[in-house]
Amino acid sequence: MANTEMQQTTAFLATYLSSRHVPPTSAWLQTLVPTLRLNIPMVALQKTALFRLLATDLMVSIDKSQVSTFPVGITDPGAREKRLRSFITVQILDIEDIGRSRWSQVDAIEAHERGETTKGREIIRVIPDENDVGTTLNSSADASHGPHKLLLQDARGTRVYGLELFSIPGIDTSTSIGAKLVLKDCVVARGIILLEPKNVEVLGGKIESWDKQWRNNQKSVLKEKAGIRENAA
Amino acid sequence: MVTKVLCVAEKPSIAKAVAGHLAGGGFTTRAVPGNQYVKNYLFHYNFPTWGPCDVTMTSVLGHLMSQDFEAAYRPWRSCDPSALFDARIETYVEEGKKGIAKNIETQARTSQFLYIWTDCDREGENIGSEIREVAKKAHARFVEPGKTVRARFSNTERTHIINAAGMPVPLDDRQASAVASRIELDLRIGASFTRNLTLTVQPMLQQRSAEEERRVISYGSCQFPTLGFVVERYFKVRNFVPETFWGIKVSHVKDGIKVGFNWGRGHLFDRMAVVVLFERCLAAKTAKVTKVQTKATSKWKPLPLTTVELQKCGSRFLRMDSQRVMQVAEKLYQNGWISYPRTETDQFDSGMDLRALVQKQTQGGAWNTFAQGLMNGGFSQPRNGRNNDKAHPPIHPVNFVNPTSLTSDEQRVYEFVVRRFLAACSRDAQGSKTDIAILYGVETFHTSGLTVLERNYLDVYPYDKWTSSQDLPTFREGEVFEPTEARIHEGQTTPPGYLTEPELIALMDANGIGTDATMAEHIAKIKERKYVETRARGRQSTEEDEYVDGGDTPSADRGRGRVRGRGRARGARNAAASTRGATTGVQEFIPTTLGVALVEGYENMGFEISLTKPFLRKEMELKMKAICAGQKTRAQVVAETVVQYRAVYMRTQQRLGVLQASVRKYVLGENPSS
Repeated sequence: MANTEMQQTTAFLATYLSSRHVPPTSAWLQTLVPTLRLNIPMVALQKTALFRLLATDLMVSIDKSQVSTFPVGITDPGAREKRLRSFITVQILDIEDIGRSRWSQVDAIEAHERGETTKGREIIRVIPDENDVGTTLNSSADASHGPHKLLLQDARGTRVYGLELFSIPGIDTSTSIGAKLVLKDCVVARGIILLEPKNVEVLGGKIESWDKQWRNNQKSVLKEKAGIRENAA
Repeated sequence: MVTKVLCVAEKPSIAKAVAGHLAGGGFTTRAVPGNQYVKNYLFHYNFPTWGPCDVTMTSVLGHLMSQDFEAAYRPWRSCDPSALFDARIETYVEEGKKGIAKNIETQARTSQFLYIWTDCDREGENIGSEIREVAKKAHARFVEPGKTVRARFSNTERTHIINAAGMPVPLDDRQASAVASRIELDLRIGASFTRNLTLTVQPMLQQRSAEEERRVISYGSCQFPTLGFVVERYFKVRNFVPETFWGIKVSHVKDGIKVGFNWGRGHLFDRMAVVVLFERCLAAKTAKVTKVQTKATSKWKPLPLTTVELQKCGSRFLRMDSQRVMQVAEKLYQNGWISYPRTETDQFDSGMDLRALVQKQTQGGAWNTFAQGLMNGGFSQPRNGRNNDKAHPPIHPVNFVNPTSLTSDEQRVYEFVVRRFLAACSRDAQGSKTDIAILYGVETFHTSGLTVLERNYLDVYPYDKWTSSQDLPTFREGEVFEPTEARIHEGQTTPPGYLTEPELIALMDANGIGTDATMAEHIAKIKERKYVETRARGRQSTEEDEYVDGGDTPSADRGRGRVRGRGRARGARNAAASTRGATTGVQEFIPTTLGVALVEGYENMGFEISLTKPFLRKEMELKMKAICAGQKTRAQVVAETVVQYRAVYMRTQQRLGVLQASVRKYVLGENPSS
């Protein structure tokens, strides 16, 4: 009895996740289902399953036979224009704000580290909210304006750069690393995918360990790119 | 018996001016024993409040009282500096001012009323209460309500003074206590930290040169944050690394006119991205006009003049540092040419007869024709800013003075004040602005043209610049054309400049460091202490106003400028505003090695609340305001603030090694052993 129910649930979830363009491998589903409380409504179960899946590495959790991945030769810089016809699910490995100099981004991070932010010319001391530890960096005041350049990875592990042609809601430097996007009908120019709100669906999610590492290194990566020597003072 | 009134002003020049107006010229001058500057002016006056009176008008010379620790604590090595947080403070009349105090006491003995004519600001209220203290020694009646009153005035123009004489108000004891707490806190905090700092650092400097032997390394709760701003910018400049950016420029020749279009994205810091976008523009071959909009635009006339604005403009347009500007303005005020120069107010009271003031400026000066034009219908009520200190109107000319009778510095400041006032009473400059946008591929490009139609206030205010651009050819919306040229351009970010005086004043103002009356002194102090040096800025910067902390300043980036600073509605107007700043010669501040060492030393101590940041001082200024509003008492504020600073002092004490290391690194040039 319980077994049948579990099979049913598994099938439902697989269908639901596939409809969101993240069809799970049966192995992943089998490790997921026993951890769920089956007596809660289906809608809640779907949400939980999607949330858990978005926190995983696509290459491990997605059934590659059921999804499209980047075509061969997508990164070819010789190709002026190609079009991606099908839905392709990807995860974000890196986000870069190319609208501002790295120096000014480092400066903003350092001001934040000192617990300061500026409002006009006024320097404001930011008092960390105890209920809000860790999320202060993500507050909208720090949101970058872009355009952003993203490093995207499909389920097979192919990495391609994406360029935000028009600002996509939900994408800025506070977006989590490991977040998932579904691309549909995108143009690829010289090996770079051009991203627009109309052909990008932001599923969200986050891979905790990747995100943490990325944020820890963000400042030194920016400094390196800008050519700032450490201990320049 | 005739009623006798004793009037006391803050300075001899005001006493004389007020006496002159009230007496109608007929007063007797008497010397004051023991002081050569202060005089007594004797005359009769019919006060509406008291009827005909015998009046003695005299003055003090600023503060009458001084404060210091009691004798046992005065020698530097007499005690641990932390003892100064609660050592007893004595209030006394300095030797040089004893004659003045004696004079007030003597005069008060035979007077029924004490009429205070000190400047109407917090400091003035406090000086007023000091005068009352002295008068009280002669007769206790002066503490009774109505026996000691003060005049509310903001300039020494005749009718204004006569009005003020008829409307005495009580002395504001809250403001006086706010000043008393500030004086006490500055003394306790300044002395304890300064002694500690000097005793720690001075011996190290002596190793370098014997001259340093007696040098005081002072700490002040305003000085340090002021120095902090300078050092912070210094490191921003020093640590700056230029970065390359790329952009796309499109130009098109039409009707024989070459029009440049700017990329909507400004520029990007990724070459490949720009190349891809550029290629897609080219692939589109044609561009389409998406917007052609011509609309009326105006350049707003300046706001009424505040002290902070005067100081900033002084540095920028008159080549005078803030302290010098204030000295000159003070002199012009004392001589009755301009209103009180210490004010935060940037709105004129609706009841003020501004036309009458404009009328006075038709008498002469290079601006008389313009003033006449205002009288003949050009007058327009000044804009209102957002600040009103409820004590003084904006700085404005009170009387016309022939510039040739002034010194050259006075002429320049007076001229600025007059021109600013006339500009404020004039109409905004009017123009017509055409914006054209094109879509080329998926990228948007813009251009705009400005035609100045009426210069209005600009004619009298050469400090603002607003000029017509070249004419644009006619474009229609929907028009499709193949641009003559499109290319990628490359540029580099440039470092911000060192902090200039107008910027420093703006930072102090925004962060509550000092009051508009004292900011110039704090700046002068860090120069005097050799924590900073100034030099004339070498290159012309048109963007000092628009500089955004933490931002880059590539000149193509104007579109992103955000509105900043208090009362700066003007920032929102248009990019043309950023080309004001017609003169070079702005001073910029560079910290000395000692200045850097001190800031770094304290920063590296790693306190949560750094002494070189504005936060602690700002809290103190807010507490002063709370005293004025009656929400806190002097005792509360002093106790609370001493607790805060004592805690910081104790922690500083434990980490003096960090400060010493910083001095070794920057001043003595030793490499850290690590």
